[in-house]
Amino acid sequence: MLQFILRRTVGALVTLFLIGAATFFLFVAAPSDYASLACGKDCSPQRLEDIRQALGLNLPIAQQFWDFMSGIFMGRDFPTGHCSAPCLGQSFYSGDMVWNTIMDRFPTTLTLTAGGAVVFLVVGVGAGMISAYKRGSMLDKFATGTSMVLSSFQIYFLGPIVLWIFVYSTGWMDNPQYTPITQDPWGWFTGMLLPTLVMASIFTAQYTRMARSSMIEQLAEEHVRTARAKGMSRKYVFYRYAWRGALIPIVTVLGIDLSSMLGGAVVTELTFSLQGIGRLAVDGAIHKDLPMTMGVMLFGAFFILIFNILTDIAYAWIDPRVRLS
Amino acid sequence: MKSFSSRRAQAIVVAIAAGSLALTGCSENKGTNTGDNAKKDQQQASVQSKAVTYADAAGSTGPAPEIAGAQSGGTITVYQEAGLSHLDPGQTYVSDAGQVANLLFRRLTQFQEDDKGNVSVVGDLATDSGKMSDGGKTWTFTLKDGIKDAKGNAITSADVRHTVERQYAKFIFDGPTYLQTWLSGAQYRKALPGGGFDGKHLPKSVLDTPDDKTVVFHFDQPRTDLPQTLAMAGYAIVPAKDDTKAKYDTAPVATGPYKIASYKLGKSLVLTKNSNWDPKTDSVRHQYVDGFNFDFGVTESTQTKRLIADRGNDKNAIQLTGGVEATQIQDVIKNPAVSKRTVKGYQPYVMQLTFNMDRVKDLKVRQAITYAVNSKSLIAGEGGVYGGDVAPNYFAPTLPGYEPKYDPYGRLKTPQGNIAKAQELLKGVPAAEKKVVFAYPNSENGQKRKVAIEDALSKVGFNVVSKEVDSASFYEQIGKLNNPYDMYITGWGQDWPSPSTVVTPIYDGDQVADGAPNYAHVKDAKVDALIKKALNQKPEDAAKTWKEAEHYLLEKVVPGAPLWYTKQFQLSGSNVGGTRYGSVSSLLDINHLYLKKS
Repeated sequence: MLQFILRRTVGALVTLFLIGAATFFLFVAAPSDYASLACGKDCSPQRLEDIRQALGLNLPIAQQFWDFMSGIFMGRDFPTGHCSAPCLGQSFYSGDMVWNTIMDRFPTTLTLTAGGAVVFLVVGVGAGMISAYKRGSMLDKFATGTSMVLSSFQIYFLGPIVLWIFVYSTGWMDNPQYTPITQDPWGWFTGMLLPTLVMASIFTAQYTRMARSSMIEQLAEEHVRTARAKGMSRKYVFYRYAWRGALIPIVTVLGIDLSSMLGGAVVTELTFSLQGIGRLAVDGAIHKDLPMTMGVMLFGAFFILIFNILTDIAYAWIDPRVRLS
Repeated sequence: MKSFSSRRAQAIVVAIAAGSLALTGCSENKGTNTGDNAKKDQQQASVQSKAVTYADAAGSTGPAPEIAGAQSGGTITVYQEAGLSHLDPGQTYVSDAGQVANLLFRRLTQFQEDDKGNVSVVGDLATDSGKMSDGGKTWTFTLKDGIKDAKGNAITSADVRHTVERQYAKFIFDGPTYLQTWLSGAQYRKALPGGGFDGKHLPKSVLDTPDDKTVVFHFDQPRTDLPQTLAMAGYAIVPAKDDTKAKYDTAPVATGPYKIASYKLGKSLVLTKNSNWDPKTDSVRHQYVDGFNFDFGVTESTQTKRLIADRGNDKNAIQLTGGVEATQIQDVIKNPAVSKRTVKGYQPYVMQLTFNMDRVKDLKVRQAITYAVNSKSLIAGEGGVYGGDVAPNYFAPTLPGYEPKYDPYGRLKTPQGNIAKAQELLKGVPAAEKKVVFAYPNSENGQKRKVAIEDALSKVGFNVVSKEVDSASFYEQIGKLNNPYDMYITGWGQDWPSPSTVVTPIYDGDQVADGAPNYAHVKDAKVDALIKKALNQKPEDAAKTWKEAEHYLLEKVVPGAPLWYTKQFQLSGSNVGGTRYGSVSSLLDINHLYLKKS
């Protein structure tokens, strides 16, 4: 196990480096540069040069890249002060350290992700499992129908409707906003409730359908049939054998979904005017803010790689036939 | 401040997007007139385009006149879509940071607006708007007594000198450059590379501070606009003791009625009362509310929904530079209770179809296009009847010297374009010259403009080849001297109410350079001479010269076809009092607000 984790960690670091390099050089190859965008009304060659110098854009490309990547491990010095490792650079646009900005926005995204995951795992997977168990029943039909409808919705459609009903029209809820849980637990819960539920509802529908089909597949497996033939009760077989088997495809998708969400729930954040990682990524791209874009990309990639490793470990735990090698 | 290019213009772009949805005139909307009222528009335009006057000591003495019915207390919520690009005054040029700066920082001079829309320049930290001598080459300012920063330190002439000199430092690169250029020339940074931080200062022959209270500027030519220049947020005072150089951008020290309690970049900004601000020294600002909570990242659509709903804390909310979102305009104007909570007025921007004169060399072609363009359909694409007004010339209704009836191309009579006249001009023009490349940003508005331009010009026989350009770098692309486009729609507005900040930057031959705002590449000896002449004249004489320059440009040079004037239309919560449109900021006057019930 230890060898597996070490090997995957080294692989992840190499992948992160490659992602960083690809992002950096694609950005640099783009037809416009930030200095020109920032130069504005009184733009002159001198002013352009001043901006390039102020932002370090006058340095050779290779050195800029090395400064960025080495800063992640060793930290960097900027005119505004030292940026401790892991230093993801300094935003061109705001002048803030990228890592600090990401850390400031991450709790919002984490709340959305964690809250959403709880809802769609409990409700979505639960409903899917029960639907499979009671296949053909009214409950199954209701869950299948509801998930069909919900999965055809989009957050940018459902979000404004929910806001109109609960916030603008009736005033039952306040405008969604993130408040640190340490500062005001109730404010944190109520402020993030609507966005979390709306985002989760879309995922819940998908997980319901996936869990149902996966469980139905498992219930048709030979080892399940054999267990039943041996006289084990349906409920016992369901929880002892089929349930675990059905989890494998769910865990696979869960790993991808969670890592994507932690990298930024863009649509949810924009729909509910929340300041999370997703919005940071969009702003970075719009403003041609290379350090911010690089930082958010690497941050998101980090979670994708971590969840890949965790998913592999989870496979082995769920299904002993799977060996980590 | 006022092109749509660059990072500095991003806030302006937001404002323009909103402005394109605007209603009419410059006023608080009483909810009774929500239709298009051209006559009222022109009345309001005449107010907005009045020349700015310079106030004496009596007009510069605080406190600011009380606002009838104003109450103290409470906190105003401020919504804004994008975060602030800067808080350091030296880096402040765009309207969002400028609005915040009005609450936080004081300058030597400031604009003051009365209830009739008359604008004057008053002394802010200075006792008056400045004393001119030597024909405008020397300006002397005397500081008021009892001015302190938020830390309680007295503001002296050394702080003013520091404020000017730090603009020469390389970490300041995003603010206005007028003053530095006037004092030390285009290569001003070379005159003081250390920005005053290394103990070296500008020579007394340029900037003198003979005592703690006196500041003297010396220029090599008359600078009669100086009081207006110094009223820009970019020249707000940075106390020398408090300056942390580049770090100052996130934690500046206030001199105005409010100070920063907390700031999270791009997320939130909380302002509270500055107890060291003395209202007796300030003839412009108020301190009615306890503070302001800025909430960034709220889209214009959401801002509008929240303000229409007017529930809970949104009753105390305003929009910073955003406006009513296009699809919700009808919801606003059809509901009198909501409509009366709006303010509206002209913005300083004139949108025009700019010709790349290095490529479109034939004057007849440029004139034909100017006749042919359809302002009506372009305005429709910007938000219908609320998108703006037809522009018959290059001067916006906010600019002194604006002539509502100066219309050499008959744009007001034929806003849909004069096809016959255009066709007549094109007789004998070779087919090759009728092929024109039009660049447009790949945005929703850009697409609409493309359709309108193609439609209008194809009617008179032009072969329009439209080229899509990334909207984020649109101005960067068209700003390249050797750009491959014949024409593009651009917008420009004044930095202060003077044609010098319009004609000079966009038509001066010295401004033909990569990235410079002379997008038409106008290099005309007569234009250059008129600009030079106007810059050396007294305001009343200069006004005639600017007018002559505009007429010559529009009739003889034709660097662009004027299309439309933009407007602003903003909404606030029902508990916000004192709302009025600020002629100088072209936004809600943020210094004039209070909460009806705190």
